[in-house]
Amino acid sequence: MSSSNAIVFVVDDDPSVRDALSNLLDSVGLAARTFGSSEEFLSFSRPEVPSCLVLDAKLPGMSGPEFQEELRRTGIQIPIIFITAHGDVPMTRKVMKAGAIEFLTKPFQKGELLGAIRHGLEADESRREDQAVVSALMSRYEKLTTREREVFDLVTTGLMNKEIAAKLGLSEITVKIHRRQVMIKMEAASLADLVRMADKVKTQSSP
Amino acid sequence: MNASEPVSRSKFAVFGAPSFWARIGLTVVFVAIAFLASLSLQHLFPYPFLFLFFGAVMAGAWFGGMAAGLLAVVLSTVLVDYFFVPPFYSFAVNATASSYFAAFVVCALVASWVSSSRKKNAEALSVARDQLELRVLERTEELRESNIELQEREKALLHSQAELARLSRVMSMGELTISIAHEVNQPLTAVVTHGHACLEWLSADPPNVSKARQTTQRIIQDGTRAGEVLGRIRALFNNEMPEKAPLDINRLIEELTWFVREEAANRGIVIRTELASGLPLITADKVQLQQVMLNLIMNGMDALLEKGGDKEIVISTRRSGDESEIMIAVSDSGVGLTPEQAEKVFEPFFTTKPHGIGLGLSISRSIAEAHAGRLWAEPRATGGAIFQLAIPIQQQADYV
Repeated sequence: MSSSNAIVFVVDDDPSVRDALSNLLDSVGLAARTFGSSEEFLSFSRPEVPSCLVLDAKLPGMSGPEFQEELRRTGIQIPIIFITAHGDVPMTRKVMKAGAIEFLTKPFQKGELLGAIRHGLEADESRREDQAVVSALMSRYEKLTTREREVFDLVTTGLMNKEIAAKLGLSEITVKIHRRQVMIKMEAASLADLVRMADKVKTQSSP
Repeated sequence: MNASEPVSRSKFAVFGAPSFWARIGLTVVFVAIAFLASLSLQHLFPYPFLFLFFGAVMAGAWFGGMAAGLLAVVLSTVLVDYFFVPPFYSFAVNATASSYFAAFVVCALVASWVSSSRKKNAEALSVARDQLELRVLERTEELRESNIELQEREKALLHSQAELARLSRVMSMGELTISIAHEVNQPLTAVVTHGHACLEWLSADPPNVSKARQTTQRIIQDGTRAGEVLGRIRALFNNEMPEKAPLDINRLIEELTWFVREEAANRGIVIRTELASGLPLITADKVQLQQVMLNLIMNGMDALLEKGGDKEIVISTRRSGDESEIMIAVSDSGVGLTPEQAEKVFEPFFTTKPHGIGLGLSISRSIAEAHAGRLWAEPRATGGAIFQLAIPIQQQADYV
């Protein structure tokens, strides 16, 4: 497994299925945490480690697909592997479209479950890494002055120093100084690097 | 037995019908006996002794019929005229004896007629009696045959009733298939998953035997649970003839709600039970009562189908006011019943469901009646319907 501190969450109303899943995950060296209902899972304060959720599609109260929608709505990002005794095609399509990793029919084989879990944990880990990169980038961006941000925006859209100077009503020398400052503060090695950063900054601040 | 036989079986047939000449001969013999007896007794009487000839005429008419009777009259008349009416040993009749002689002839004729007609009546009566006896025998046989047939039909009816009840049970269970499959699949999933885990524990280096042992125990537990689920299903599907035994109705209801809770949850229905404690056991066939309860619960769920808002089924048990019966009520907050429907729903083939065959409630009521109980429906005050089942409490029943 890519990360040794990863946790697999299991939500199933049947205690023996929960117990069995926890035993299986334990046997392959994965930490597991089980819950009898979606409410229990929500009230648990999850540590910030790579994780994924093995979710019974058929739960008392809020059903699996409803819970998936609820998580999406509240901005909780976690890869979901659905397990069900009798999955119908419309339900499968719905949850897969909503981003589920896998939809497994009980009783499932070890390979398909562990494969899906591995996939889920990797996805969550890379999401978390991206998240870390983006938040570092954002904190660097925050440190730029207003003028420097203006220069950053215009440089990354591909304008020449001369054009930027004309647009902002500054001398070309001043623009050069700002630009140098931006490169240092953003820890960019090249203009291409800075452009990539600008893409991430834009997607993060636009919504 | 044949309709043509009675004559040959009558009493005449036994002695044989006397032929014409035998009858004539017999009549002649009677008259001869009367003549000889009268002749030998005549010297004892001062007047002609003729009474034995009446006997001969009556006997002749009795055994030989009207014709033989008349022959006896003629013979007697001739003999009396010749031997007993003066002048003796002559066929002439003097004036004094003529009225006496005439009276004899008339009496002889009357005797002959009376005797032969009595005989005819007796024969007719005898024939009628024989025929009657025969008819009685025939009818008795017919009755016996139809009785056997009736018994066979009753047996067949019982069989088909049991089969119908079983089919209806299978149909109700069919509606629950998905829920039941789920109940079996859960422990199976646990078994398979534990099995994989067990292999992992054993293939670790070094093998984790204690974890593998724990896991194996869980496999046994879950496998046993799956077996129990199947056992419950088999009990509901069983095909045996009804057998009554002491039964705890509350336990039966709890077992059944276990079956239907999954289905109810799927349909967004809450099943609540309000079971009175300390109820006596009732003598009943468990499978049949399960069927009645299952029917009532499934009907309740169907009634809730078209209804929004809170969907609830309440199953309650209690003693009747006079403590003679246990009352089981299944009430739902569904579409409800009109007073006419409340009785009509128990008629065979009456159904309000698009895919129903309309036998569930009619079978349920016949099961209730087979337990000396009653089953009826009434509208519920707050909307919906209540189905009430009353089963008598046995005397000297064990208390639970």
